[in-house]
Amino acid sequence: MQHAFEKLAPVLIVEVLTAIIIIWRIISAQRGKELFIRRIPGLNAIDEAIGRATEMGRPVLMVPGIGGFSIIALQALSIFSYIARSTAKFGNRILMPVADPTVYTVAEEVIRDAYQAEGHPERFDPDSIRFLSDRQFAFASGVAGLIQREKIASSFMFGEFFAESLIFAETGNMVGAIQVAGTVHTTQIPFFIAACDYTIIGDEYYAASAYISRNPTMLGSLVGQDFGKLLITVLFVVGTVAATVAALNVPTLGEAGKSFIDLFTIR
Amino acid sequence: MLEPIVRFFAPKPLSVLPYYVVGAVLFSILVIIVLINLPSRARKPLIAIVTFLAGLFYATEFFWPIDIATNKNFLTDYLVPASKLGSLLGGMTLTLGILSLLRVHGRNIARLRSGWYNSLALLTAMVAMVIFGLIDKYGTDATAKKVFNVLFEGMLINMDATMFSLIAFYIVSASYRAFRIRSIEATILMVTAFLVMLGQVPIGNALTDWLPKDGWIASLRVENVKQWILSQVNAAALRAIAFGLGVGGLAISLRIWLSLERGAYFEKEI
Repeated sequence: MQHAFEKLAPVLIVEVLTAIIIIWRIISAQRGKELFIRRIPGLNAIDEAIGRATEMGRPVLMVPGIGGFSIIALQALSIFSYIARSTAKFGNRILMPVADPTVYTVAEEVIRDAYQAEGHPERFDPDSIRFLSDRQFAFASGVAGLIQREKIASSFMFGEFFAESLIFAETGNMVGAIQVAGTVHTTQIPFFIAACDYTIIGDEYYAASAYISRNPTMLGSLVGQDFGKLLITVLFVVGTVAATVAALNVPTLGEAGKSFIDLFTIR
Repeated sequence: MLEPIVRFFAPKPLSVLPYYVVGAVLFSILVIIVLINLPSRARKPLIAIVTFLAGLFYATEFFWPIDIATNKNFLTDYLVPASKLGSLLGGMTLTLGILSLLRVHGRNIARLRSGWYNSLALLTAMVAMVIFGLIDKYGTDATAKKVFNVLFEGMLINMDATMFSLIAFYIVSASYRAFRIRSIEATILMVTAFLVMLGQVPIGNALTDWLPKDGWIASLRVENVKQWILSQVNAAALRAIAFGLGVGGLAISLRIWLSLERGAYFEKEI
């Protein structure tokens, strides 16, 4: 069992300080402060992909990965909710195969709400959200089969993906679908980059809901995240200098460098 | 203080298990009735309070000072019962997942839609696995156990392995597209991948075997170039992504814990 007191300094400095900064930025954003966020091409491509599906009259596929119900799945559903609102507006057919029963129940609600919010509840087809299997490769074969049979026009893959990521992405590529993907698992990102048209990398995944909704609270949190990364970057630079002066045994500074490194070393 | 809760969630003997199951079902029905009849304006605060308390439990357990000898604090023992609550919710939703399967594929069979026989095969396999799986676990019939073995070891595991092996072919086609020299980025990617692959195989190492093993010139040996790419360039980039993800995860967790999350289901009337 891991606890903060095993190494208090890094936890307090990085985690607690970053949390305070995020909350501070959220509060200032709620008070009306103007915030800038950079363009994320993968998220801008969502509308383009839906438009293509509308022109072709073929379905839009959304895969929330094979992970359980977590913040990763919540973020994926948040993006899918936005996509579903667009498909509800244009009358596209959607397919959403799900591997986790908890995610399935929430996904059904989220997509139904999106159709209701757009004023087209009658266009929602409950069969479009399908629980396939919670076994990794049974789910993979199910999704690959759906892609091939339905000849999907656009594919969105957001969530937790493991070895099956390439099966989905390559099958989608074979049927000529425009594909946008994002995952938090760094081992799967190269596969998505190789096989998809757009890939959301790293913390862009967690920026998606803020980017799409443009809600002040979410934007404030996004800017807070950037401040958190800035803090970590400063620590990297200071740590590099400290390690260098410690290795070179620079008088006085060498000892200070060693103490700094000790403070952040988890043994 | 929380000792009775831990005892309550501990495994129970088979003789009393049905009473606990019936009790849990009745309790769940009661909770659902209360939630349905709760005034609309009270539901959101209730969810916010439960979310906050759940998050507070895990945060306090992580930050509270521990007894060095046992590596525990006063909340550590209750982590397992808390996680079991999550598993219970997951178990309940599995029923809804199975209902979805039955609905979609049952309709395919009833209306004889194209490929209806695939749906029939799926439902037959599902029912067979449940029946023979239960017999294998609790029954004594040797034939049924053999059938389960054929279904599980002989078919399911092999079909899983077949799907997994497809990845090898997909890697080839995906990497062919990724490495086609169309831009500066693709060229860098191709050259880097080529060097790493060379460094992984004996023939690659043999190419620069004539270079000395010591001194600065040794850095040009293929295996050292590969190691440098992996440990200095690749690892640094992956760590940067991991730090970004960590901070992003912290931000979204904070938003959910403090009920600050907006968009999708977080703003709807319930």
